[in-house]
Amino acid sequence: MRTHNIRTVCLIVSMVFYLLIGAAVFAALESERESSRKKAVEQKLKEMKEKFGFTDSDFTQIETVALRSEPHRAGRQWKFAGAFYFAITVITTIGYGHTAPCTDAGKAFCMFYAILGIPLTLVMFQSVGERINTCVRFVFSRVKHRLGLQKTDVSMCNMVLVGLLSCACTLCIGAAAFSHFEGWSFFNAYYYCFITLTTIGFGDFVALQEKDALQKRYPYVLFCFTYILVGLTVIGAFLNLIVLRFLAISIEEDVSSENQSSEPKDTRDGPESEAQTQNLQCKEDTLKLLCSCLCCDADYYSPAHFDPDEMGGHCNPVFYNSISYRVDQLHIVPSTPQEKVIHLTLR
Amino acid sequence: MKRQNVRTLALIVCTFTYLLVGAAIFDALESQKETSQRKELDLKKLKLLSSFNLSTEDFDELEKVVLQLKPHKAGVQWKFAGSFYFAITVITTIGYGHAAPSTDGGKAFCMLYALLGIPLTLVMFQSVGERINTFVRYLLRRFKKCLGMRRTEVSMVNMVTFGFVSCMSTLCVGALAFSHFEGWSFFHAYYYCFITLTTIGFGDYVALQNEQALQTQPEYVAFSFIYILTGLAVIGAFLNLAVLRFMTMNAEDEKRDAEQRALLAHNGQAGHVHCSMDPGSPLSTPSGCGGVSGVSASGAASRGLRNVYAEVLHFQSMCSCLWYKSREKLQYSIPMIIPRDLSTSDIEQGDGYSNTLHSNGCVCSLQRHSAISSVSTGLQSINTYRRLNKRRSSI
Repeated sequence: MRTHNIRTVCLIVSMVFYLLIGAAVFAALESERESSRKKAVEQKLKEMKEKFGFTDSDFTQIETVALRSEPHRAGRQWKFAGAFYFAITVITTIGYGHTAPCTDAGKAFCMFYAILGIPLTLVMFQSVGERINTCVRFVFSRVKHRLGLQKTDVSMCNMVLVGLLSCACTLCIGAAAFSHFEGWSFFNAYYYCFITLTTIGFGDFVALQEKDALQKRYPYVLFCFTYILVGLTVIGAFLNLIVLRFLAISIEEDVSSENQSSEPKDTRDGPESEAQTQNLQCKEDTLKLLCSCLCCDADYYSPAHFDPDEMGGHCNPVFYNSISYRVDQLHIVPSTPQEKVIHLTLR
Repeated sequence: MKRQNVRTLALIVCTFTYLLVGAAIFDALESQKETSQRKELDLKKLKLLSSFNLSTEDFDELEKVVLQLKPHKAGVQWKFAGSFYFAITVITTIGYGHAAPSTDGGKAFCMLYALLGIPLTLVMFQSVGERINTFVRYLLRRFKKCLGMRRTEVSMVNMVTFGFVSCMSTLCVGALAFSHFEGWSFFHAYYYCFITLTTIGFGDYVALQNEQALQTQPEYVAFSFIYILTGLAVIGAFLNLAVLRFMTMNAEDEKRDAEQRALLAHNGQAGHVHCSMDPGSPLSTPSGCGGVSGVSASGAASRGLRNVYAEVLHFQSMCSCLWYKSREKLQYSIPMIIPRDLSTSDIEQGDGYSNTLHSNGCVCSLQRHSAISSVSTGLQSINTYRRLNKRRSSI
């Protein structure tokens, strides 16, 4: 329990520091440019006002019209294609804001739509991501087998590397495509893909907003939707590999700590102490995991930690730390049958 | 087909259907208004063009200037307060877009910042959310005791209800505050809070953009930041309670499958234990594993049927999983159920299977790792299945 509180406090503190550092760096990078741009635009505005002889109220009129027609300039946003695009940005939580519902009914429906859609999408991406990871692990072990390597186990390092590579490839493919179709520079297109696939979705760059693409260029529209969904799956797979275990560690610890604190039952004295030992071991391992997640040391857990007899009658819940690669340990093709048997009994 | 694959396919189909239905409804709700607004704006534009004697190019130029001026009008966006606001929108993935980096250096740093910040924030919110849930569970238990109720366990229903109520109150509190400070209607402020706390973040409504609030109203700025972060923690707690377990389902089942394969391998014909993956179907249960080659052919077919049946039961139970009680009650039922269940599930695998299970202690590991899911692959009575799925509900 205490470890968990400490971890939570540490995370909060590190996030606050991270925000402060980020704010300082962004301020340093953007502040000057902002003030110089502001001056330039205001100067230009002054010139135009003089040129056309506008009063302030005149200009306000023009301003209102200009601002309100901004989304319309990009094309019909609420026909089916545009609405589908919008629905994607809602349930994936990208939320560009290039269009937003203006009717109150639209806003209300948007909220209900999100309430159900966001969990569905989260679960879906994690589900598909896990399948992808399993498939990759299998393919990788076969490749290793073919290459005649001695150890055909797929380590965490391998998986992380493949994950990183696939994310980078996805971003690069998207960047190439969008820089071609939208006329952005490669860097801006890459930035767009990154901001989209991390679901931040600023909306400073939005695809399908040029030349009425939503209504006219159906193959491109299809490509965009597919790219966003597939890209999110790839990122989801990577998150499933790396981050989900940390999200789920809390669950496991909570359960085991609850077991400790629940009212003692007379018939369960034996398993209680076993649960405690288990608990401590579990904490040890999770901390170890936290520290060494990406190191190859974490790959080969000493199986001696988990003596099945000790955990006999009391079912400690599923050990989520390194779910996917624990499974991996049983997937492996051992070189000798004896190895496999040993693995099993030690588990 | 394997349970995980069925589940994944079903989720994909559901999501696509959901998108299509949503698109159709949004189309129906917004399309007309869009058309009428567009017409109205075109008329206004023509009027302005004629009254000020402008050409369309002039107007386009003016439009450009207006759009460029827009973020500046809302205040200085990149001083420390504004940058902090921006940093929040990045790592929480809200991403309003009210301010976005214009320099290449800013964009590059933004990407690196997000790369590290987003996982950190996800883990942080889930951690805090889990702490909140534990604390709430404790409070509810004490509350129940105080009320003198006999059963003081906090059920899933209690937790979900409480979580839902707290989310709604967070949204209402925010709606009240922002409607007061920003001058929005209550509904619009509520919509803003909702869109913010679900991290969608359209940017059609953004706080701290009126009257130079970022520079002149530090208390309101502090309130906004605290509200956003606390609200996200509350939503995160609810997600941790209700959704996170579903995100780990596939991995759990994969584990269960692996355990079963391992058991098959271990208890298969001695000396013929080799676990070679079926090359044709990487994601299906390898039939050759464990060398139970004689039984495997028929085993695979019946396994297939069993899996489908299990999937159906599983989906049924998934819907009702939230209505069962907490884990404390359930763990005691599991040891009694598993042995019987294993024997039923293994009848098709071969004789003498259940005996060997008990003797080598592998029941424990199966029990430990896959208590929930192993049961579900057997043909057993709905009762036992339901009882076990209670356990799943409380993960």
